[in-house]
Amino acid sequence: MNRLLLSLLFVSLPLVPVRAADPPLRNCIDEQVKAAWAREKVKPAPLADDAEFLRRVHLDIIGIIPTYDEAKAFLDDQSPDKRAKLIDRLLEHPRYALHQADEWDQVLFGRNPPGYETQRRPTFQRWLQEQFAKNVPYDKWVADILKAEGTTVDDGPPWFLAQYDRQPEDAAEKITQTFLGVQLQCARCHDHPFEAWKQVDFYGVAAFLARLQVVQFDKKNNELKAMIGERNTGEVLFTGPAAQQTPGKKGEPIKPKFLQGEALAEPAPPKDLKEERSLPASKAPAKPYFSRKDKLAEWITAKDNPYFARAVANRVWAQFMGRGLVHPVDNMIAKNLTHPELLTACAQQLSAQNFDLKWYIRELCNSQTYQLSSTGEVEDARPTWFERARVRPLSAEELLESWRQATGYDAVAAKAPKPPQGRFHGVTWDYMVRFFGQPNNGTGNFQGGLQEHLYLNNGEVSRLIATDKGSLHQTLLDDKRPWEERVDQLYLSILTRPAKPAEKKKFAEYLSSGDKPAERLREAIWVLLTCSEFRFNH
Amino acid sequence: MPDLNPMKATLHCELVFEGAWTTSVAFLGSGRRLAAGNREGVLLVWDLPEQPTKESPAPTRKLEGHTNAINRLVASDDGKLLISASHDKSVRLWDPTVEPAGSAEVIVDSEQREREAKKNPKGAALSKPGVKIATQQAQHVFTGHRAWVQALGMSRDQKRLISGDDSGLVCVWDLATRQQLAKWTGSPANWITSACLSADGQTAFVAEFCSPRGSFDRPPAQVRLFEAATGKETLDFLKVLYPNVKVRDSSYGYATTWGQFVAQGLVAAEFSPDGKLLALAQGGETGTGKVHLMEVATGKLLRSVSGHQSGACDAIFSADGKYVLSVGRDTTLRICQVADGKEVAQLGKPRGGQFKDWFHAVALSPDQQWLAAADISGRVYVWSMG
Amino acid sequence: MNPRCRPADHLSRRALLKGALATTAGGVFMNWGDLFGSAAHAKDVAKEQKSCILIWLNGGASQFETFDMKVGRPTGGPLRPIQTNVVGAQICELMPKMAQQMDKVAVIRSMRTSQIDHPGGIHLMHTGYGPSANVRYPEIGAVCAKFLGREKPDLPNFIKISSNGDAGAGFLGPNYQPFGLDHDGRLPQFAVSNLDPKIEANRNELRNFAEDSFALDRKVEVAGMHREAYESVRRLQKTLKVFDIEQEWAKHRDLYGDTKIGKGCMLARRLVESGVAFVEVGQSGYDTHADNFAGHKGLVPPMDHAWAGLLTDLHQRGMLKNTLVVWMGEIGRTPSINNRSGRDHYVRAWTTVLAGARIKPGIVYGETDLDGKDVKDKPVTEGDFFATIYKSLGINPNKENFQGVRPIPLAPFGSNVVEDLLA
Repeated sequence: MNRLLLSLLFVSLPLVPVRAADPPLRNCIDEQVKAAWAREKVKPAPLADDAEFLRRVHLDIIGIIPTYDEAKAFLDDQSPDKRAKLIDRLLEHPRYALHQADEWDQVLFGRNPPGYETQRRPTFQRWLQEQFAKNVPYDKWVADILKAEGTTVDDGPPWFLAQYDRQPEDAAEKITQTFLGVQLQCARCHDHPFEAWKQVDFYGVAAFLARLQVVQFDKKNNELKAMIGERNTGEVLFTGPAAQQTPGKKGEPIKPKFLQGEALAEPAPPKDLKEERSLPASKAPAKPYFSRKDKLAEWITAKDNPYFARAVANRVWAQFMGRGLVHPVDNMIAKNLTHPELLTACAQQLSAQNFDLKWYIRELCNSQTYQLSSTGEVEDARPTWFERARVRPLSAEELLESWRQATGYDAVAAKAPKPPQGRFHGVTWDYMVRFFGQPNNGTGNFQGGLQEHLYLNNGEVSRLIATDKGSLHQTLLDDKRPWEERVDQLYLSILTRPAKPAEKKKFAEYLSSGDKPAERLREAIWVLLTCSEFRFNH
Repeated sequence: MPDLNPMKATLHCELVFEGAWTTSVAFLGSGRRLAAGNREGVLLVWDLPEQPTKESPAPTRKLEGHTNAINRLVASDDGKLLISASHDKSVRLWDPTVEPAGSAEVIVDSEQREREAKKNPKGAALSKPGVKIATQQAQHVFTGHRAWVQALGMSRDQKRLISGDDSGLVCVWDLATRQQLAKWTGSPANWITSACLSADGQTAFVAEFCSPRGSFDRPPAQVRLFEAATGKETLDFLKVLYPNVKVRDSSYGYATTWGQFVAQGLVAAEFSPDGKLLALAQGGETGTGKVHLMEVATGKLLRSVSGHQSGACDAIFSADGKYVLSVGRDTTLRICQVADGKEVAQLGKPRGGQFKDWFHAVALSPDQQWLAAADISGRVYVWSMG
Repeated sequence: MNPRCRPADHLSRRALLKGALATTAGGVFMNWGDLFGSAAHAKDVAKEQKSCILIWLNGGASQFETFDMKVGRPTGGPLRPIQTNVVGAQICELMPKMAQQMDKVAVIRSMRTSQIDHPGGIHLMHTGYGPSANVRYPEIGAVCAKFLGREKPDLPNFIKISSNGDAGAGFLGPNYQPFGLDHDGRLPQFAVSNLDPKIEANRNELRNFAEDSFALDRKVEVAGMHREAYESVRRLQKTLKVFDIEQEWAKHRDLYGDTKIGKGCMLARRLVESGVAFVEVGQSGYDTHADNFAGHKGLVPPMDHAWAGLLTDLHQRGMLKNTLVVWMGEIGRTPSINNRSGRDHYVRAWTTVLAGARIKPGIVYGETDLDGKDVKDKPVTEGDFFATIYKSLGINPNKENFQGVRPIPLAPFGSNVVEDLLA
């Protein structure tokens, strides 16, 4: 891609104030998506029915399926605006912050973060939840992460940069990919063969981070205490293509330069400035005479940054719609862009709304596009033209908490004399992360394999099928209604929909044959917990 | 012997030795003579000028015979015995004071010539004659090693020598009779990464390591003391440091435990002059390569000093035992006090990009007046300490 | 019927498929046991089935420290060559055992490929194609599973031991998904069911019903994958004894070397013998940007031992003529040695090795220049390489698969089979 195309993709967003008379973004979404259907001659799926919508929106916004009672109430509700009201309710649900923080924690760290002791970061996770709970604007909390003030265990934000101790190149790669949607990693070793990026672009960004260092203190509550220090001196040295890096080659210090923009204007260093090679451990680092890191944070999150708003608009779109308007979301190059005007509109409005992610999610979920059914002949789990709802695997967190909710495990556990602590009890969380932690192949395609079924079939899932009083199992066993009616409740509790007649018949037959109804009911619950309909959000 | 004052180091001269990585350096006695070897087996001797100079003095002698990288050099205090260990599986003994046998033309500035030729393609940079210097052959060759000889150490009484190779073979030699006194082998598949002898040559230290062979397929490192004459193990440092680790097979868990101590191999080892301590340098590419000071009597870690980003390459004690001098993959030479571990001086400065050039070896003259570091970019830096 | 044909010729793939569908229970060979009546006969046919074993050098092994040495050149490095049992073909001293097996392999010293980084290279050298946001290319293992394997086998047709490919079955769909074993070839955790078989059969039937019900309205591929994977796990239960290799390992440890890669290679042979179409055995750690020589000194000897053991074993069992053994990583390494004593990524001129099936043994194909910087003669692209592999396995490389309506040939359009490599 040449520089011209690049500039087309990342045009600066004019700052248009949003007027009350402007149609809401949701309408714009539906119009643009519809226009693309017409152009591409694509036939869309019908709207999702209430049950399909209910399960989907619960998982997407709060990361768990609805309870039987919630499902029943919503399906029985006859008011015409009940979907919009449900979206509003879920956005105010305490789990909204929890789930969105889960999602972003994975974006920012992943299952195997680099760096020392970064695997355990509860302070960061709580801090991130707080940002969502208070609906702090996205640009604000990203700036906090990049400025990294305070300590990991007292404040939280420094955790992100703590992944990259004295690794300015790695940090530059992650930051540009995550917050700007551009992939510079090829330019690390050589000028990018196909994109406009030069090696000096990459090192220009890395130069902002060249002086950062993780200053470690003793641990607190088994969590690493650290601060992000910035030295007064230190440069990224550039020696040309990696392949030509031979001994004796003198590196050229690269000055900080904004991506595709100006060099950073730096004040002259104080006269008596000594070269600093390293900051001492266990001592709060002093502020440098001039903070390059803060300048980078300000530039990245600036309103007129051509990349920032588009990158987040696209990423959150993909979170709810299955794929980005530019796909994949961390490689926003022109050839990957399917809906140019729509991306611009989303980015502009999100920016005009001061990066209010809750507002944006509300618009996305209220669009007809989001509310399409996932049924139909299309095999692609993430249709390019959004003509049908995407089908995505549940995350490890969603799966475990939904399983427990469905079986009444949580309801039973809550009444125990010693209720379990923490979120991920019931099974071995390490297994969940191993078998379900990365359901995608890195580009978002589902990659389930035999291993997860070995776990489902022979592992610990059956432990979650509680049989105590108050559990789904016991409730249905105690119930004296005919099995057909009880099967309906079974389906609504686990799959968030009433059973179809054929299902009632089949399950009722299964449950009433033989002389061990309790055992059979356990297996029936297992069947619904492990089948595709549960495994995916559809 | 004058005291070593680390703060007084001044750069005396910079010896150009281009063409391949400079890997090893040793002073030949307390005069101004030193030898340095490189990755292609070239071994040269320089006579240093009296006064500091910006010019690069030419070498004066070439020691011929090695056909592959020279890994280590050790020399006697009188400068009459130089010993070299090489990738070519040989250990060679030289007397650099004998009359030379022949002469040869040597080019030590090949890279400068190439740069000149690039600037001025019509010039004669590439065809200029080199310097004509004397040559000599080794007095003796210790054969019997089966692989790269990476470990070499001489006792302070200069009577015994230890060498170790990548097949795991350790040999102890009597220098007077030039006979092999003992030999033994380490764990299968391990390399001998460093070895040294106590002052009286009675105790041998040997470190073993092998880089991972497959995903979790990693043989155990070994860090042990032996009776030099018999090869009988007398102390296992890893057992002292990690008494609860039982498994000594190729388990990954074990590897990660001792990995904190041995990093990617302990690549240099030396006994302190009083014999009470051992300095062990953490090498390979690792986070920060430190130098462990071990108590020989107990096997305990006294403290870890210094620290070279990306790994250490070499470490020695000063002749008075007060300092540890180490070099590493950060293009620096660091001098630390043994008594408290404090770093008191740092020589050299990183150039290059994300990864720095290495100072591959360090040497101190017996009278503590001269200090040298071999830089892989084809330089030997010499500092005067007076 | 032509009376001179051997019976095996008439046991077409189709017939075998029918056999496969007709039986559902039993041991490893029960898929076709009914067609033959004797396990021995079945084994003979298994021998005629073409299979492929891939030895994958993750991170990219160095051609300079294996098969294309440049001794005495600035790019050469400190390792030295040794003679082999093929006159004129020298290889690295780190591979003394393969030096005695050179008469069985074809070395390609003139690879020139297009993806220089790991993710792209891993995709490229597992599929023949660069990664694409729009097309999900299948790995060679899935292609072999589809064209060489039996349908709905008890043992999966595509097995990975410590592998790094991540493209999986791609658009070929859930039937050809890989089954991954642990690093040392052990069955993954939770492989064994402890449930009463009767209860399990019952709930399995109910689960099938639930899946059918979901599939009524949705054709989405991921659900199919999920379901197919479950069914494979059920079938796998019948074959667990194949993975119990301890007894056989005791006998073969010396042949393959007592390492993970050695064990992996022996298990690969055992699986191929049991009818699996494709097995990948991976060894990681070749991305030696630092300490390239020490790295290769650690990694190559156990691999040399395992690989030579595998070729010897296949040869002795008469299986080499129908088993292709591919040796490759995703990239080669730079001629220049950097200041970390390492070599970086390089794809302009590097080396792969093939053996068995229709590959011409004992040859070195192509040549690089004096310093190994470029291909001097007969460059082989990734497309040519995969086309040659497929042809040697009796698969037409121009055969098209379809993703939707889009035809996608097995080897990229414009690839050429390197006929000189085929016997």
